[in-house]
Amino acid sequence: MKLELGRINIKDVVLSDESKIVNGVLNVNANAIKEIVLKDERIKNVTIDIAKPNDSTRITPVKDVIEPRVKVEGNGDIFPGMISKMNTVGSGKTHVLSGCAVVTCGKIVGFQEGIIDMCGVGADYTPFSKLFNVCLVIEPVDNLTPYEYEDAARVAGLTIANYLGELGREITPDVVEVYETLPISQSVVNYPDLPKVAYVYMLQTQGLLHDTYVYGADAKKIIPTLLSPTEIMDGAITSGNCVSACDKNTTYHHLNNPIIKDLYSKHGKEINFVGVIITNETVYLADKERSSDFTAKLCKLIGVDAVIISQEGFGNPDTDLIMNCKKIEQEGIKTVIVTDEYAGRDGLSQSLADADPLANATVTGGNANEVILLPKMDKLIGTLDYVDKIAGGFDGSLRSDGSIEAEIQVITGATNELGFNKLTAREF
Amino acid sequence: MVKEIERSGIPVVHICTVVPISLTVGANRIVPAIAIPHPLGDADLSKEDEYKVRMNIVKKSLEALTIDVTEQTVFEL
Repeated sequence: MKLELGRINIKDVVLSDESKIVNGVLNVNANAIKEIVLKDERIKNVTIDIAKPNDSTRITPVKDVIEPRVKVEGNGDIFPGMISKMNTVGSGKTHVLSGCAVVTCGKIVGFQEGIIDMCGVGADYTPFSKLFNVCLVIEPVDNLTPYEYEDAARVAGLTIANYLGELGREITPDVVEVYETLPISQSVVNYPDLPKVAYVYMLQTQGLLHDTYVYGADAKKIIPTLLSPTEIMDGAITSGNCVSACDKNTTYHHLNNPIIKDLYSKHGKEINFVGVIITNETVYLADKERSSDFTAKLCKLIGVDAVIISQEGFGNPDTDLIMNCKKIEQEGIKTVIVTDEYAGRDGLSQSLADADPLANATVTGGNANEVILLPKMDKLIGTLDYVDKIAGGFDGSLRSDGSIEAEIQVITGATNELGFNKLTAREF
Repeated sequence: MVKEIERSGIPVVHICTVVPISLTVGANRIVPAIAIPHPLGDADLSKEDEYKVRMNIVKKSLEALTIDVTEQTVFEL
């Protein structure tokens, strides 16, 4: 499958009477967005606000971050099975509004939603402080269940990202990237001497507001399967989870997965990147056993030499990670795992809940328990009502002067397990 | 906690959904539970059947406490 990603560089975002892109400036009509979002009867109100890099602005509680994209050629539309008809995506041409995002926020859904600071020390920990963010502050109707609210907020974010992406349909992209994955039988003929490498992409799927969707299917119910990496760039995987903010994969992360990008950059040179195996992280042991058995079996059946495995979230998914690693290694296939750590505030505790000697190559996104002091911001998008309660916050996190003392766990993307962050730890 | 209580001489059964983690942390007697969000319950069952499941796990755990073990042991239900 071959996909051309045309990136349109967005240099600024402004509120305007008409939604359009003029010379790289995204003009956003807030009323038009409001009208679309309020078609959903579950949403009482939505406020649209803009946050720009270096603004003294705090966005919280953040649910999802989504990059605007539009399909201009080829099968299907962005976010298939979710907000567009089911159709296999990942071929043809897609336009991307690079440098901006839709951020959904507002009253809390669960208890694990994050903070994005647009300036100050907190901004260094989140990649989203570098983007022009169109924020949707969503207010649900009274008595809506958390599940319905999560669904409504998720669909609103994806719909508006696609609405903005549509504005880039006729615009000539600034940069065009081409990604292609051939059938495995073909790629082994093309690169007979290169090691065959796959990517095992673990998706957070524990239910109770921790879910991920693949073509609209609830991923906790899937059996591990194979995807072309290009399908993911067209929105085949969307986030629906409120796991700890620091290590959840937002939809933006899925669309821009840096492991996939790096594997492609080495494809045909150092390695033969044959594809992506997606798997889940469930709450029943039998499901964990089944999924890791199938992941290892798929690796063997497609005949790879090595895999990279990335985790999402922490705690019991550490077991899914280790099961995948162990079972794949036992097939004689080399593994590298990508995770993060909960090693306590002093960094001295055991980093993962599970371990095995076969997990002998590990990349970490950092220690989520590190404490940080976030300065007061002049402007707030959302609400500070939940700062003491979100994962990583504690009683007294929000100080009377407006500053926040909390673990970096509260910052969206701080210890991301796809490596979409700046933190790591190295042993010397 | 399992290890600390046992260190003081009191035998412990760890009722745990994710048995591999229990094995990694070094529990000696392990009884598998139902699921992480509801270790001793199952919302898919009727109240009567759920009670039976719970009773079974507790009985199995009490029985495990009476059995001498020489290595980490999982008492399957």
